Amino acid sequence: MGSSKDAAAATTIGYFTTVESERTGWTGGLLVLNGAGRPLEFQCTLPIRPSRAHEILFGTTLRQHLISEVIGPTLLQKCRTPISLLCCGQPEAISLQENLPSSAASLPASSAVRSTVVAVVQREDEKRIRELEGHCRVTLGNATLHVAMERIDDAETAIAGLSDIVDTHEPFERITEAIREAQSQMARAA
Amino acid sequence: MWFRAKQPNADTSSDSSASPTDAIDAARTGGKLPNTGLPTDGFRQNGISSRPADSVPTAPNQSIQPQPNVVPSSLPTHATPRPDLTCDIDESLSWSTHPADDIQHETDCESRDTFHNGGFEVVTRTLAWSPLQTTRVPIKLPALRVKTNGFLFPEAASWIPKTQAPANASVAGRIGGDESESKSPAKRPQRKIGKHARIKPPNDIVKLQDRLYYLLQPPLDLLVGSGQLNFPFEPFPYQLDGIAFLFPRYACVLADEMGLGKTMQAISTMRMLLCSGELRNILLVCPKPLVSNWLREFSVWAPEIPVMAIEGNAAKREFQWRATNAPVKIANYELLMRDKEIVLESGLHFDLVALDEAQRIKNSNNTTSEIVRAIPRTRSWALTGTPVENSPDDLVGIFDFLSPGYLTAGMPLPQMAKAAGDYILRRTKDMVLDDMPPKLFRDADIDLTPEQWARYEAAESDGIIHLEELEESLTIQHVFELVLRLKQICNFDPVTGASAKLQRLEADMEEVAASGQKAILFSQWTKTIDKMRPAIEKFGVLEYHGKIPHKKRETVIDQFKNDPEKRIILMSYGAGSVGLNLQFCRYVFLFDRWWNPAIEDQAINRAHRIGAAGSVTVTRMMAAGTIEQRIASVLDQKREMFDTLFAAQNEPSSTHDRAPKPASNSPLSRTGGLNRDEIFGLFDLRAPGGKKVA
Repeated sequence: MGSSKDAAAATTIGYFTTVESERTGWTGGLLVLNGAGRPLEFQCTLPIRPSRAHEILFGTTLRQHLISEVIGPTLLQKCRTPISLLCCGQPEAISLQENLPSSAASLPASSAVRSTVVAVVQREDEKRIRELEGHCRVTLGNATLHVAMERIDDAETAIAGLSDIVDTHEPFERITEAIREAQSQMARAA
Repeated sequence: MWFRAKQPNADTSSDSSASPTDAIDAARTGGKLPNTGLPTDGFRQNGISSRPADSVPTAPNQSIQPQPNVVPSSLPTHATPRPDLTCDIDESLSWSTHPADDIQHETDCESRDTFHNGGFEVVTRTLAWSPLQTTRVPIKLPALRVKTNGFLFPEAASWIPKTQAPANASVAGRIGGDESESKSPAKRPQRKIGKHARIKPPNDIVKLQDRLYYLLQPPLDLLVGSGQLNFPFEPFPYQLDGIAFLFPRYACVLADEMGLGKTMQAISTMRMLLCSGELRNILLVCPKPLVSNWLREFSVWAPEIPVMAIEGNAAKREFQWRATNAPVKIANYELLMRDKEIVLESGLHFDLVALDEAQRIKNSNNTTSEIVRAIPRTRSWALTGTPVENSPDDLVGIFDFLSPGYLTAGMPLPQMAKAAGDYILRRTKDMVLDDMPPKLFRDADIDLTPEQWARYEAAESDGIIHLEELEESLTIQHVFELVLRLKQICNFDPVTGASAKLQRLEADMEEVAASGQKAILFSQWTKTIDKMRPAIEKFGVLEYHGKIPHKKRETVIDQFKNDPEKRIILMSYGAGSVGLNLQFCRYVFLFDRWWNPAIEDQAINRAHRIGAAGSVTVTRMMAAGTIEQRIASVLDQKREMFDTLFAAQNEPSSTHDRAPKPASNSPLSRTGGLNRDEIFGLFDLRAPGGKKVA
């Protein structure tokens, strides 16, 4: 690890969320920003539609399965930029920490942390802070993040290199907008 | 994956209490049906679970009807053949099912009793069900396959512009409220929460990746908020929207009303595009009097960007056209005609050509229009406060520069509006009223014409020598005389009549008149008013000053209010600064500055009074590098001092206060203009008997 300045430069923040639509299905988006909030990489999925069998089998756990076992790991696998801190917009992504693909589980030495830290962003409209078992709260910009207890040190290291992130919620809007744009273009092409 | 197959439902009649659930429960518990009190003989199985109950035959002679415990011997004694098993799982995902035939029903374990009753031999038979067997249906559940699409952003998109120090109080082209307001950013209008200045791709960008490139950029207000994007003054929210509009566009018209800061928006966008590597070579074309203004604006809003004004003799200009050390070149329209060959035929190419006062090319047939249309370029921007002056075809002329043939003369108006919609951004003051302070100050620093400048320098040096020679007999009156003399030269060259201020006034009045607005002009001298009148006669001029008889003054005001052809009224500070209500005027020009800012405030408040319909743009004209700027600088310092001292009292007249206090209550009124030492200090003179004032 180099100087703290280098570490800050190597700190990246990923934003992962999914958009569910009855018409198209589930679409996931991953936006990677540098410490200054500028975009480095964007990955998104084509819409996937779980079958009836999936719905029956997974029941109420289908969302979690899709978010943290299907869409999330796939996007992380495809992403070429090492991600220090991955902010997830949905609480179902909390188990993504256990499902990290190898590329995210072992980051290059130049990265600020040894593996991607998964954090769930407390929603803006949630006034009361939820408690997630085995997770601690940390603050980034204007948001509260829930991070696995054993990764809290890494999370704080990553957050130290993200001082220019003012509005932690805003990049989710960009992803949603980008997914909407992609879907509308696909709809026009169809 | 394996499923337990759904057990066949017992075919129960409508009055049977043996539910399908019971049947399944029986299967789970070893196949014993619950004791329903019903005969077990004749109990039917029906594997079609979805079959509606009312589809079961209900004719009285059918065996499923409840019968007494009497079973005719002719009735079959074996169980109904078991139908196929079904499952709510998509069959295409299953690789096998157990045929129903495989499930054997053991019917051999039965007991039979015979007795006689009433002469009949009654045979009762008890059927024994073999335990219902569960079965497993293998279902292959394919993993959900996810296809992804993505891209990396170019490194240059992560640019971070250099941090720059805030500029001084008196800045050319500054758009903003009173200086006091700019000192307290907390008072500035804030963008509504959740509403960001996002860069949105225009409709003519088709490729998804290109569109996402813009969509995924951070909102400009957050870049400003995080300190990454620095401006000498915090832009208004609508100005950030304007930058977000210009940034992704290859062809567009920024048509904001005069005074809203088109220049600042264009320069800031150019700066961002240069920093992000999207532009390397920009040509800005503007009217000649505005070249120096653009240079100053660049030095304020993009100080790190080298800018070159094309000027001088032919050889110098040719060298400048080919120079690569300045990414921004500024040329005027007239010069473009002279350098036509160099610009069009020497292999020059510009990443962006921006036209200021683009209404100049509304006529597609004029030479200027032909030349600018032919300049090799990638992006084309047009800046104008009046995109349409007389007819919609004016817009066609501008679009012939942006995208030839996109609009055509005679196009139906709704069709033209629809086609041009995505290319034009126009905001009026009314539209951005919430964002704006009630008064906008534009400090127009104007370069004197060469004739004026020569006269000014000679007068100043001779004057100072004369003052110094006076020594002990030097009085403040002598200094005043020199100041007045120099200020008059700043207005007009006494010999040739040349006036850079008048050129600027004409350009601004074109825009004011075209937008249907009216303006008030203030000057210290009626002679100055007399000199400027012929040049601006075309705008419909009225005069209101000491030489106008009192009995005629009321008529003049009425005419100015009611005659739509009268666009400008020329006033002297003395006559026009009090007692008049001209709040329908949106523009005030201070052709020269008064000694005391309080007097200026009173003059400005002719247009900006309680009940004013909208904000007022005040253009303060100052000759750059002259006594006018030195006086303004001293007054600004005093203004700043009073603002600091009387900050609490100044609180109510904040940005959002639409009813400012009378000028007499303003802290500015207590400055009292310049004191004796300050007046001597303007020329670095020592006041007799006093210390030298630097």
